[in-house]
Amino acid sequence: MSTLRLGWRWAALRNGFLDATAYRVEFLIEVLGQAVVPVITQLVLWYAVFKLGGATEMAGLSYSDLILYTLTSILFSQIRGGDHDFELAEMIRTGTLSNYLLRPAGAVEFVYIRGSAPKLFLAGVCLVVGMIVGAIFGGIHPERMPAAMLMAFIGNIIHYQISAAIASIAFYWEEAYSVLMVKNLFVSLLSGELIHLGIFPEKWKWVWESFPFYLYVFGPVQYALGKWTHVEFFRALALSLVWLAVGWALVRISWGIGTRRYLSLGG
Amino acid sequence: MEPVIVAQDIRRSFRSSKKEEGKNSTWKYLLKPEWVEHHALKGVSFSIEPGAFVGLIGANGAGKTTLLKIFSGLIPPSSGTARVLDQEPFKRSLDFRKQISLVMGQKAQLWWDLPAVDAFDLLRAIYEIPEKTYRDRLGMLAELLDVQKLLNTQIRRLSLGERMKMELIGALLHWPKVVFLDEPTIGLDVLAAQKLREFLREFNRREKATIILTSHNMDDITRLCSRVLILRSGEMLYDGSPQKLTREGEKRLRVRLQEQPTLEQLAATTQIPIERITFPKPEDADAGDEGEGTLPAAYLTVNSQTLMPTLQAILAKYTPIDLGIEEQGLENVIKRLFQEEASGITKRP
Repeated sequence: MSTLRLGWRWAALRNGFLDATAYRVEFLIEVLGQAVVPVITQLVLWYAVFKLGGATEMAGLSYSDLILYTLTSILFSQIRGGDHDFELAEMIRTGTLSNYLLRPAGAVEFVYIRGSAPKLFLAGVCLVVGMIVGAIFGGIHPERMPAAMLMAFIGNIIHYQISAAIASIAFYWEEAYSVLMVKNLFVSLLSGELIHLGIFPEKWKWVWESFPFYLYVFGPVQYALGKWTHVEFFRALALSLVWLAVGWALVRISWGIGTRRYLSLGG
Repeated sequence: MEPVIVAQDIRRSFRSSKKEEGKNSTWKYLLKPEWVEHHALKGVSFSIEPGAFVGLIGANGAGKTTLLKIFSGLIPPSSGTARVLDQEPFKRSLDFRKQISLVMGQKAQLWWDLPAVDAFDLLRAIYEIPEKTYRDRLGMLAELLDVQKLLNTQIRRLSLGERMKMELIGALLHWPKVVFLDEPTIGLDVLAAQKLREFLREFNRREKATIILTSHNMDDITRLCSRVLILRSGEMLYDGSPQKLTREGEKRLRVRLQEQPTLEQLAATTQIPIERITFPKPEDADAGDEGEGTLPAAYLTVNSQTLMPTLQAILAKYTPIDLGIEEQGLENVIKRLFQEEASGITKRP
């Protein structure tokens, strides 16, 4: 039986972090840009609805509830996904996947570990920030932050697994960019990153509950803010582990079939 | 000795959609694409002994890279059998991947923004190379390629030649038993290419690794390979030593004559068999060999003993405008083989 070889995974993680932060200013702008733009959009929207429109409540949520949700979601939306799904599709299309297929390390796993390094770093930073902010200003439960962050990171893995399975379309169509883009738009909406999922009409609740996306941002935020009970959290965590297993199977099957069709184009 | 690489009647086809010019064809392409089957390899068979340094030559599209991809396990053959190190490459077993290496001159595998030494350290971990062995190998490879001082420089700051050297180090750190090199000297200057060749020769000699090299640079082949495989349109055209191919001692006599004799007349005059005399089309002749408006030259394959009698026979009967003797270099031989494929040899009308 082969043993789990941690050695290369650790080295890939380290190199991934060094690579992502080779241009520090670029890295910081990317992080801040991704965090600030959706938040400003939401803040403007809630201001318009509540202050200018005169609403006092929306789907049982007050202005301060939504503002607190929006600000807390910054801590978890940073962990959600990266661009490595696009990278996988591009590697298939251009033939650079060949370099990875020949190494005694799984190509999909390697790309994930390399790309997740900066996300892990951000998860650590956001965890600390969340705990400090919660302890000083309240709102966020500091003792719940580690578990909430764990769920967000499992969400990151599930997101990559689904993305990698979708990227394997490139084995058939050579290009998977549009499908991945559409997937990302749905994820932005259904993860709770753009809007609080409680705003969805009750009869449409099943839509976001049918996907694992709400476990990326909405679930962790709800738990960190004390809106979910421990039981609700652990039920969601168990569900995320099921999705993790489903994602693993999806990747195994899609890439197992896909790499048999791989043409290694491009010289 | 058991062969390390075996190819038995390997065939490989690719299917691609064909798009014609024009607006109507765009709709046709979208709704009902027409598929074209391209046969990259058409029944290739050979075997290679351990420790051999083999050159794989062919014009663009001859099937060289396809063959390397099959041997390295990237793609399967459509039919036939490929075996490397007694394994089926396309199964890509962990054991197989640890024993081979493929270097493609046009596909970089090092990290653009990191120093080479970081990428090498990752490869050390992937191939589970013990720390001391890794240090020794890296030291030796860096010294042979003269890049010790560049190991800590970001890859993107290196020149093309330096990057290629780093790629080669990365490909060899795990001491593969079989190395596939796809145009490793592409884009390199003369000095860098020479250094790389010296290194490859030394690595093959010291480590007894089996190396298959594809290159359009005949210097690479003549200086390194004891055996040459020539592919033409997916078929094996030649399998043997480079010396046999160039028929050592043979020369090419170029004559341009005022009288423009026919092939048969020239053969009768010189007593050289017709098949050893050619009149290449002007566009196939060597650069600068035949300008517009000049008479075409005849090429006669002669050896050292028949050179003088042939010349005397020609001079006795015809008035030469231009005479020249060329070595039967590998490059010339290959060039003629490719020209034969592209246009066919023209006989004097």
